[in-house]
Amino acid sequence: MNTFTAPEIDYVAIAPILIVAIAALLSVLTETFLPRSVRRTVQILLTFLSLIGAFVVLVINHSIRTITGGGAVAIDGPAIVLMGTILILSLLSAFLVAERSLDSLGDAFAPSASALPGSVDEREFSARGYFQTEIWTLFLFAVLGMLAFVVANDLLFMFVALEVMSLPLYLMVGMARRRRLLSQEAALKYFVLGAFSSAFFIFGAGLVYGFAGSISLLEIHDALSASAGETLLIVIGMAMLLVGLLFKVGAVPFHQWTPDVYQGAPTPVTAFMGATVKVAAFGAMMRLLYVAFSGIQWDWEIILWSVSILSMIIGSLIALTQSDIKRMLAYSAIAQSGFILVGVVAASPSGIAAVLFYLIAYGLVTVGTLAVVSMVRDPSGEATHLSKWAGLGKKSPVLGAVMAIFMLSLAGIPLTSGFVIKFSVFAAGIAEGDTWLVIAAVLASIVAAFFYVRVIVVMFFSAPNENTASVAVPSIFTTITVAATVTATLVLGIIPQPMIELLTNAGIFIR
Amino acid sequence: MNFDLNMDSYPWLTTIALLPLVGSLLVILLPKNNAKLAKTVALAFSLVTLGAVIAMALNFDANSKEVFQFSESYAWIPAFGINFSFGVDGIALVLIALAATLVPVVILGGWDDAIESQGSVKGYFALVLVLEALMIGVFAATDVFLFYVFFEAMLIPVYFMIGRYGGPQRSYAAVKFLIYSLVGGLFMLASLIGLYVVSAQITGTGTFDFTTLVGLDIDPDIQKLLFLGFFFAFAIKAPLWPFHTWLPDAAGQSQPGTSVLLIGVLDKVGTFGMIRYCLEIFPAASTFYAPVVIAIALIGIFYGGFVALKQTDMRRLFAYSSMSHFGFIALGIFVFTSAGQTGSVVYMVAHGLSTAGLFIAAGYLMSRRGGSAQLSSFGGVNKVAPVLAGFFLIAALSSLALPGMVSFIGEFLVLLGAFQQYMWVGALATVGIVLTAAYVLRVYQKSMTGPLNPDCEGMKDLNGREITALVPIAALIIALGVFPAPLLNVINPAVDRVMTTVGVSDPEVTFPILTGTATSEGGSE
Amino acid sequence: MTVMPAEGLFSLMWLLIALPLAGAAILLFTGRRSNSWGPYLGVLTVSASAVLGVLLLIEMMGLPTEERTITQVAYQWVFVGNFSVDLAFQLDQLSMVFILLITIVGSLIHIYSLGYMSHDPDKRKFFGYLNLFVAAMLLLVMANNYLLLYVGWEGVGLASYLLIGFWQHKRSAAAAAKKAFIINRVGDVGLSLAIMLMFVTFGSVTFSDVFGSATQASEGTLTAIGLLLLLAAAGKSAQFPLQAWLLDAMEGPTPVSALIHAATMVTAGVYLIARSNIIYNNAEIAAMAVVIVALITIFMGAIIGSAKDDIKKALAGSTMSQIGYMMLAVGLGPIGYVFAIFHLLTHGVFKAGLFLGAGSVMHGMDDNVNMRRYGALRSVMVITFITFMAGYLAIIGIPPFSGFWSKDEIIHAAFERGWFIGGAAVLAAGITGFYMTRMVAMTFFGKKRWETDVHPHESPAVMTIPLIILGLGSTFMGMALLFWGDIESWLEPVVGYESEPTPLPTSAYIGITLVVVIIGAIIGWISYARREVPIDEPAGNWLTRAARKDLYGDAVNHALVVAPTNYAARALVWFDARAVDGFVNGSAAIVGGMSGRLRRTQSGFIRSYALSMVGGAVLVLLALLLVRI
Repeated sequence: MNTFTAPEIDYVAIAPILIVAIAALLSVLTETFLPRSVRRTVQILLTFLSLIGAFVVLVINHSIRTITGGGAVAIDGPAIVLMGTILILSLLSAFLVAERSLDSLGDAFAPSASALPGSVDEREFSARGYFQTEIWTLFLFAVLGMLAFVVANDLLFMFVALEVMSLPLYLMVGMARRRRLLSQEAALKYFVLGAFSSAFFIFGAGLVYGFAGSISLLEIHDALSASAGETLLIVIGMAMLLVGLLFKVGAVPFHQWTPDVYQGAPTPVTAFMGATVKVAAFGAMMRLLYVAFSGIQWDWEIILWSVSILSMIIGSLIALTQSDIKRMLAYSAIAQSGFILVGVVAASPSGIAAVLFYLIAYGLVTVGTLAVVSMVRDPSGEATHLSKWAGLGKKSPVLGAVMAIFMLSLAGIPLTSGFVIKFSVFAAGIAEGDTWLVIAAVLASIVAAFFYVRVIVVMFFSAPNENTASVAVPSIFTTITVAATVTATLVLGIIPQPMIELLTNAGIFIR
Repeated sequence: MNFDLNMDSYPWLTTIALLPLVGSLLVILLPKNNAKLAKTVALAFSLVTLGAVIAMALNFDANSKEVFQFSESYAWIPAFGINFSFGVDGIALVLIALAATLVPVVILGGWDDAIESQGSVKGYFALVLVLEALMIGVFAATDVFLFYVFFEAMLIPVYFMIGRYGGPQRSYAAVKFLIYSLVGGLFMLASLIGLYVVSAQITGTGTFDFTTLVGLDIDPDIQKLLFLGFFFAFAIKAPLWPFHTWLPDAAGQSQPGTSVLLIGVLDKVGTFGMIRYCLEIFPAASTFYAPVVIAIALIGIFYGGFVALKQTDMRRLFAYSSMSHFGFIALGIFVFTSAGQTGSVVYMVAHGLSTAGLFIAAGYLMSRRGGSAQLSSFGGVNKVAPVLAGFFLIAALSSLALPGMVSFIGEFLVLLGAFQQYMWVGALATVGIVLTAAYVLRVYQKSMTGPLNPDCEGMKDLNGREITALVPIAALIIALGVFPAPLLNVINPAVDRVMTTVGVSDPEVTFPILTGTATSEGGSE
Repeated sequence: MTVMPAEGLFSLMWLLIALPLAGAAILLFTGRRSNSWGPYLGVLTVSASAVLGVLLLIEMMGLPTEERTITQVAYQWVFVGNFSVDLAFQLDQLSMVFILLITIVGSLIHIYSLGYMSHDPDKRKFFGYLNLFVAAMLLLVMANNYLLLYVGWEGVGLASYLLIGFWQHKRSAAAAAKKAFIINRVGDVGLSLAIMLMFVTFGSVTFSDVFGSATQASEGTLTAIGLLLLLAAAGKSAQFPLQAWLLDAMEGPTPVSALIHAATMVTAGVYLIARSNIIYNNAEIAAMAVVIVALITIFMGAIIGSAKDDIKKALAGSTMSQIGYMMLAVGLGPIGYVFAIFHLLTHGVFKAGLFLGAGSVMHGMDDNVNMRRYGALRSVMVITFITFMAGYLAIIGIPPFSGFWSKDEIIHAAFERGWFIGGAAVLAAGITGFYMTRMVAMTFFGKKRWETDVHPHESPAVMTIPLIILGLGSTFMGMALLFWGDIESWLEPVVGYESEPTPLPTSAYIGITLVVVIIGAIIGWISYARREVPIDEPAGNWLTRAARKDLYGDAVNHALVVAPTNYAARALVWFDARAVDGFVNGSAAIVGGMSGRLRRTQSGFIRSYALSMVGGAVLVLLALLLVRI
C-alpha cells in the first residue's frame, strides 16, 4: 500500500521556467479580460519583463547543479547555458514580433487568423485596423516548452515539453498577414508532420520503458549498464526517440517540412523558431544520448554519422539552386544541423562546449539574418526572391554590409562567429577520431560557401534594376535585434575566448 | 605564453600593421565629396608605414641567433592554443618591405583609377590600406592560426577591390577569385585543424605556435596528408599550374593598382607559405612531394610562357607571365638548395617590382586609350611618349631577368640551385628564359615600337605624379641588381634555418662532377 | 699566374666603365633638354676612357710580364651558401687590347656620328645608347668572373637591341631588334648553363679559380662547358647556326653597324673562347666543334657577301666570314689564339673603316644602300674612296695592309693543323677577294647608275677625319702590332702560344694565298667593273638566289623553331580556355545539376514528406540491425 508522496521540488532552481510559465498564464488572462486597446502594451511588457526576469534569475542561479522534481528535472551547466540561450534568442525574436513600422498594414500577422483568407470579414478586420495579440501568448508558451525541454530528465516530461513547445509554433506559422494560403499550408504541414514525429517519439519512449522499466534517463542508463545481453529493443526505442528529435532540428531525411515552413511562416516566427527550436531540440538530444544512452553510444553514433553527412551534403547541394532567400536559409539550416551533429557525435566535454557555442552563435546569426530579410520589401510585402536583392548593397550599404557579415559567418569565414564554431566542432570531431566525418563536413562547407557568397554577389555586384526591392525603415525594435546580433557575430568571431571559457566551465550533463 | 612581450623592445610589427588600418578608418571618415583629400591621406599613411618599415629593417640584426625578431605575443584564444604573435625572419622582412614599398606606389600610380561611378573613390583607397595592414600581418604572423586568419581575411578587401572597381566582367572575376581562394582556404583549414590535433596528441596541449609546431616530429604519413591541405591553398594563391585560371580573369578585370597588390604581393603569400609552412612544418612530406611540385613548376614555366605569347590583352599577358615566374619561384623552393631558396625569395621581391612596373605602366597606357589594354590599341607609343615607353622597357627587361637587374639574381640563383640538385631540371628550366624574352619583347614591340598607331596620335607623356610613382620601382630594380647584399644578408640566414629544419644541405662541389654522363651531355649539344 | 691587386693608376680602372656609364645615364635620364650638348658629352666620356686606356697600357708595359694581371674587387656581389661572386674587374694583356680597341674605335665612331646623326631628332638618345654599349662592352672584357661577364654580355645585347631598333618607326627595324635579342637569348642559355656547370664542378666562376683547377675536371665536363660556351659565342658572334640575326641588324644606323656589328660586340664570342682557352685546350671535341662551326660560317658569310646588293648587308656577310676566321683560329688552339686576337684587332679597325665608308657613301646617296644605283663615285668622294680602298686591301689581305698579316697567320696556323682546314681557309680568302672587289667595283668604278636627283658629295670633316684615321690604321696597324707591338709575346702569357711545324715554308703558304686572292679579285673585277652592272638584279643562279635569301637561314629557323612555338602556344591557349578553365566551370555545373535533381524530391506534398520520414526511420532501423547482425 504505497501512498503518493509529492516529489521534492527545488523552486529556486526552476524559477526561470516558473517565471515564463506565470507570464504565459497571465498573458492568457490578458487576452480574456483586458480591452483590445491595452492588450498589445501589456503583452509586450509581460513578454519582455518575463524573459528578462527569467534571464536575470538564471544568471543569479548560474552555479546551481541539481536534479529535482523527483528526477524529472535536471538543472546543470549545459541546461543553464541552453536556457539562457533560449531566453536571449527569444527576446531578440520578440523584438521582431513587436515590429510594426515595416509593413504598411501594421505587423506581420493576420488580424484574425480564424478568418478565411480573402474572405469578407478578413478585409473587414484589416480595414478596421485590428491587430491580434494572441501571438504573444503562443510565443510565451513556446518559450516555456523549450525551457522545459532542455531540463527534462525523464521521457514523459520531455514529451510534454516537446508538445508545449511545438503546438504554439504550429499555430504561429499559420498567422502570416500576407500570402496567407502559403502560410496556412505550411502550418498544416508542420502540424501533421510534427504530430507524426511526436508519434515516433512516444513510441520510442514506450519501447525504452519496456526495456528499462523506467522513464527516468538515469534509470535507463543504469538498466543499460546492468543488462549484459540483448539490447535490440532499447536500441530501436532510442532510434525512434532520435527520429522525433531529428525532425525538430530538420535533419535529413526528416527535413522536408523545413523549406515550406521557413518560407510560409511570418518572418519573425521563422526567426524565432529557426533559432530557438534547434537550441531546445539539440539540448534535449544531447541530454538524452549522453545521460540515458551512453551505454549504446556506438549505435546512435552510426545514426548520427549518417544523418549528419546526409544533412550537410544534401542541404548544401539543394541550397545552391534556391532562388528564394527564405528557402535558401531553410536548406542552410538543414546543412547547419549536419555540422552541429558532428559536435554531438563527438560526445566529449569539448564536443558539448562546441555544440553549445554553435547553437548560440548560429541562433544569433539566424535571428539577425531573418531580421534583415524582414526589412527588404516591395509593395507586395517582403521581397524574398533573390532577383529582387540585386544591387541592394549599393542601394543601402549598411544593410548590405550587415547581411554580408551574416553570410560570411554562415559560410565560416574567419573573424566571424561562424568560423569559430565550425572550428570548435571540427576540432572536437577530429579529437574524437571522427576524421572522415570532419573531412565530409569540410567538403560540404566548401559547397555551402558558394550559396552564401552568392547572396553577397547579388547584393553588391549586380546593378540595381527596376524591381530591386527597397529597404523599409524599421522601428527601434528590429534595429535593436539587428545591431545586437551583428555585434555578437563579430565579437564572438574576434574574441571568442570568454565565451569558450564560460561554456567549458559549464561542464557536462549531470547524471 | 601569456604576454611575454619584453617591454624594452618596441612592438614594431603591431605598429606597422596598425598604421594603415588607422589610415583606412580615417579615409572612410573623410567627407565623400573630397576624393583628393582622401587620396592624400591614404598616401601619407602608406608613406609613414613605409618609413616605419625602413626603421624596423635598420634595427634588424642579420646575424641574430633568434628564429624571429621583433617578436610579440599576446594570448588570443588560449582554449585553442592560439596566440596573437608576430615576428619576422629575413624572408618575412623583405616581403613586408616589398608590400610597404608597393602600396604608396600603387596609390600614387592609381591616383585616378577608382571612378566614382563604380563606387566611392575613398572606399578604394581605404581598401588598399586595409589590404596593406593584412598583408603585413600575414607575413608577420608566427602563429599558424593567426596566419590563416590573415590569409583568409585578405580575400575580403581584394574581393571588393576587384568586384567593385574593375572592368565589365569584374563581378565574375571577383567571384572566381573568391571561390578559388575560399576552396583552397577551406582545405588549409582542414589541415590546420589536423595539425592542431596532432600537436595536441604529441604535446598534450594543442597549439598553433609556429616554432612549437616545427619542433614536433610528426609521423610522415600524417605529414603527407596535412601538407596537401596547405600546399593546395598556396598553389591556388601563388598560382601554380593548373590552379591558375582565376588569375588572368582577376588581373584582366581589376584596376592595375589592384593587380599590382594582387600579383605583386598577395600571390607571394602562396610561395612564402610554401617555404615557411610547408617546408618547415612538414619536412618529410616536402621532400616526398618535391618531384611532383618540381614537375608542376616546370610545366607552369613553359605553359605560362606559351600562353602569354598569344595574349592580346596586356594584363592577361602579364598574368600568364607571372604564372610562369611563379613556376620558377616554386622550383627554387623545392629543389632544396640554399641557392634555389634564396633565389626564390629574391625572385619574389624582383617579380613584385617588375609586376608593379608593368601593371602601372599598363595602367597609364589604358588611361590614355579609354581603358583598353589591347595590344592592338597601341603601337609606336615610344614616338609620342618616350618616358612612358622607357619605364615600360625597364619593367619589361626586369621581367625577362636582364643581368644587372635584381630579377636576374633571383632567376639565376633559382636555376643554379635547380641545376646543382637535378642537372637536367635546371637545364630544362633555363631554356625557359628564351620564351620569356620572346613574349616580353613581343609586348614591347607591339605597343611601343613600330609605326605610330593613329589612335595614339598626340598621346600625352607621363606627368610628374606618374613619373614619381615609377621612379622608385625602376631605381630598386637596378640598384638591388647591382648591389643585392641588403637582400642576401637577411635572406641567407633564414634560408639556412629552413634548410637545417628540413634537414637538407647543399650538394658538394666535386672534381670531376659528372664523368660519363658528361660525354653524353657533350654529345647532345 | 699571379693576380696582383690594383694599385696606383690601376686603381682607376673602374673609371674606364664608369665614365661611359655615367654618360649614358645622364643622356638617357635628362631627356630632351640634353639634346644640344648631349652628343658632345657622349664623345667626351668615351674618349676620356680611351685616354685612360692608353695610360693604363703604358703603365702595364712598365710591369714585368708575370705581374700584368691586375684585379680590382669592388665588393662581394652575389653570395649564397658556398656560391660567392665578387663584383671585380681584371686587367691583363688580353682585356687591355680589347679596351683599346673598344675605346679608340668607339671614340672615332662617336665623333663620326656627330656628323652622321646630326639631323636626327633623338640623337642624344643615340649617343646615350652608344655610351651604354661601350660601358657594357668594357664590363664584358674587364670582368674577372663569368657571372659579371654575363652582365656585360647581356648589356651589349641590350644596347645592340636598342640601337638596331633605333629607327623604330620602321616596322622592319623593330622586328630586327627583337630577332637579334631572342637569338642571342638562345646563346645566353648556353652561357648560363656553362656558368652553372663551372660552379658545380669547380665551386667558383672566377676566371683564376676555374682555370686554376680546370685540368682536374674530367674531359667530359670540360667538353660540356666548351660546347655550351660555343653556343653562347655563336649567338653573340653570329656564327652558324645562330647567324640569322646579323644581316637584319643592318637596320641600325651605320655607325652602329660599324661599332657593334663589325668591330666589337660581334667579336665577344671570340674573346669568350680565347679567354676560356684552358678549357678548350683540354677538350678536343669542343675545340673541333669550334673549328667546324667556324668553317661553315666562313663560307656562308662569304657566299652571302658575294650576292647582296645592299652594301651594308654585303659587309655584314663579310663580317660573319671574317669572324669565322677568328673562330677558326681560336678553334685551332694555342697555335691560333694570338692570331685570332690579332685578326680581331685589325679587322675591328678596317671593318669599322669600311662600314663608316659605306655610311659616308650612303650619306652622299640619300641613304640609298643599293650598290646597283652607285658607281663611279671615286671622283666625287675622294677621301671616302681612298680610305675605303685601304680597308679593301686590308680585308682581302694584300701586303703590307693590316689584314694581310693577321689573316695569313691564321691561314698558316690552319695549315699547321692540316691540309683540309688550311685549304678551306685559302679558298674562302679567294671568295673574300671576289666579293670585296665586287663591292668596290660596283660602288666606286664603272658607270654612274645613280637615282635621278641625287647629288653625291664628300661627307663633312667630322666624318672624314675618323675615316682617315681608320684608313691609316687599316694600312699600318698590322705591321705595327706584329713587329713593334710584338703581339704574340704580349698575349702569350694569357692565351698561350706555340707553333707546330708545317711541311712547306711559311712563304709558300703566303704565296698560295695571295695567288688565290688575286684570282678571286680579278674575277670580281672582270664581272663587275668591266661588264655593265644591270640596275635591277638579274635572276642569278641557284646559289645567288639562295645567298640573297641569307642561305635560307630564316626559313630554317621558322620551320624548326618559330612555327612549332606558335603551334604549341595556340594549342595551349585553347587548352587553357577549354580544358583547365572548362574543368572548373564544368565541375560547378555538375554540382548545380545534382542540386537541381535533388530539389525535385521537394514535391510539396505532405504525403511524400511523411513517406520519406518513414523511409528514413526504416533506413535508420535497418542500418542498426545490419551492423548488429
